Amino acid sequence: MNHRSLAFRLTVWYALLLSATFALVAAGLSYGLEQYLRSTLRDSLRRRSVQVQQILAQAPAAVVDSALAEAIETRVAPEFNNRFVRVTRAPASLVYRAGAPADRSFDPALVPLQTDAWPAAVAVRPIPTAAGPMMISMTPVEAASGKYLIELGTALGPIEALQHRLLRLLAVMLPVLVVCAAGGGYLLVQRALQPVERMAQTAERISVLNLEERLPVAATGDALQRLSTSLNHMLSRLRDSVSISRRFLADASHELRTPLTIIKGELQEAMAREPGGSELGERIGSVLEEVARLEYLVSGLLVLSRLDAGDARREWADVNLGELAAGTIEHMRLVADDRGVQLQASALAPVTVRGDARRLKQVIVNLLDNAIKFTPRGGVVGVTTRQHEGFGLLEVFDSGIGIPPESLPRVFDRFYRVDAARSRDDGGAGLGLSIVRSICSAHGAEIEVESTPGSGSRFRVRFPQPAEVAVGANAT
Amino acid sequence: MRLLIVEDDPKLADFVARGLRAERFAVDIAGDGLEGRRYLDTYQYDLLILDLMLPQLSGSELLRHVRRTRATLPVLVLTARDATEDKVEHFEAGADDYLTKPFDFAELLVRVKALMRRTPVERTDILRIADLELNRLTQQVRRGGKRIELTAKEFAVLEYLMSSVDRVFSRTMILEHVWDQSFEGVTNIVDVYVRYLRRKIDEPFPVQLIHTVRGVGYCIREAGPVCDPGQE
Repeated sequence: MNHRSLAFRLTVWYALLLSATFALVAAGLSYGLEQYLRSTLRDSLRRRSVQVQQILAQAPAAVVDSALAEAIETRVAPEFNNRFVRVTRAPASLVYRAGAPADRSFDPALVPLQTDAWPAAVAVRPIPTAAGPMMISMTPVEAASGKYLIELGTALGPIEALQHRLLRLLAVMLPVLVVCAAGGGYLLVQRALQPVERMAQTAERISVLNLEERLPVAATGDALQRLSTSLNHMLSRLRDSVSISRRFLADASHELRTPLTIIKGELQEAMAREPGGSELGERIGSVLEEVARLEYLVSGLLVLSRLDAGDARREWADVNLGELAAGTIEHMRLVADDRGVQLQASALAPVTVRGDARRLKQVIVNLLDNAIKFTPRGGVVGVTTRQHEGFGLLEVFDSGIGIPPESLPRVFDRFYRVDAARSRDDGGAGLGLSIVRSICSAHGAEIEVESTPGSGSRFRVRFPQPAEVAVGANAT
Repeated sequence: MRLLIVEDDPKLADFVARGLRAERFAVDIAGDGLEGRRYLDTYQYDLLILDLMLPQLSGSELLRHVRRTRATLPVLVLTARDATEDKVEHFEAGADDYLTKPFDFAELLVRVKALMRRTPVERTDILRIADLELNRLTQQVRRGGKRIELTAKEFAVLEYLMSSVDRVFSRTMILEHVWDQSFEGVTNIVDVYVRYLRRKIDEPFPVQLIHTVRGVGYCIREAGPVCDPGQE
């Protein structure tokens, strides 16, 4: 699970808020219950105190203690009500004390005697005893037969037990609830984010080659729908501007062809009239050289514009890259020899890809030409082809001057030159590698380059392989 | 021999016409498709050079018209598009040959002559210039009676140059003839091969046969520094 994802963070916040809410509810519940039970207890103790009080008040002045005790016992029946009753006459003579309650929740003998001054009015207070805390109401009574203190109480144990059970129940239930709610919330958030995920996947696929594709519009009527439609509008505008620039490129390179033909023809004719070695002849020759370069440039641009437009796949066939590379290397060998560069073709495994053989050859030719151009005398240029993880790999490496890191991302750009002065001397137009990249993307292949200045470069083209071809190759 | 050029660019038409007239062809020029059709309906031509991008009546329509009225007239199409599907279209529409702009006049002349069969394809087995001799059958080259070993590509370049003595072959023409278009623009592959060729057939001998025409290409001739890029 991605800890920084929106769904995860939302869920964590949600779970935290839920836990805090539940904790507050639990605390409130427990406190409220305790207060309610205590106040009910207090009321019941007071009512019974009043009953005892009445007995004492109605008793004649010369009443005997046993008669009082019997009256209280009969009226209040403390043992059956689980109540503690003790009546003391001032100053300290015990008149009555109830026996052990039916539920044994306290031991009457352990309830401490009120040794300090008696309270002036009715007082209810919790008192700790050896057998557990008790709630005791103390009522001073002035009767004909003397001053009495009525102590009536009950054990707080059952209340505390109830409270503990409630807290235990909450402690188990609430985390379970939080976990369930968080899990459900996570799934819901993920579901809500699914349209975003789909949009992202589509957006990922869209490149200059398939600007016709559109993002799925989430019909949610909210920000998500607006986002997808406005992204789609942006794609439309992008497609329009790309197609305008492509058409311009195609038109411009087209329109240049006729004038170039005329310039070349007229100059060649003029040249033919000049006696050999004349100054004018030399100048015309020089202009003609530039015309040739212009011609190459225009045809390069035209190739690029055609590849941009998605060159027809009509001419596609199964091409063996290894064979193609071997043949191309033979053609280039003399050029390499001429520059004192050794051309290696040792590792050319048969790799079948689908494509236009003429264009694929152009890829190898341009990469080799580039490698030879930038490898000093005595260096090595090599080509390898092989199958790798379901891809057809073509690599062209050299032991040349390399490409500085800051130039690496731009070497495939049109008209980009790493070292303007030197490569122009070599007749480079700065289109070779961008043609290579365009051909590669037209074939669904990826090209990458790694280079260490001073020790060489390696261009790697990764061709997707048709499933049946890859299987066939594995079987052999 | 009478030719019609239908081309809307007057300068291009003019320079092609001049070159062809120098080759003793009679040349007419039509500036648009309708005018071209009028000329074609009026005169008998031996060959039509047709630009496909024309005002009034497009080249393709004119081509269809020609095929309806004069099925056998050889047609050389000039086009600025060189995609293979375009070429297929030209041939389907009835073109006999096509030439992509920018072209070399020399190339145009070769195509025109081939189409008119003015020069019957002379497949002589042995090509000769001065004391240089190339045998197409045995693939052997001798100069001054001495056997010279050439690689297959060197042989192909030399054979192409010797196929028409005195004519200048542009690098593009040599490239397309001996290699293929993939090598277009690649560093001097033609220059390298010509240099190796020279090392073998020229340098050991007093008379140079292969000449460089600056900005144009190469030609083979016995003497004289300049080869004529258009005419023979």
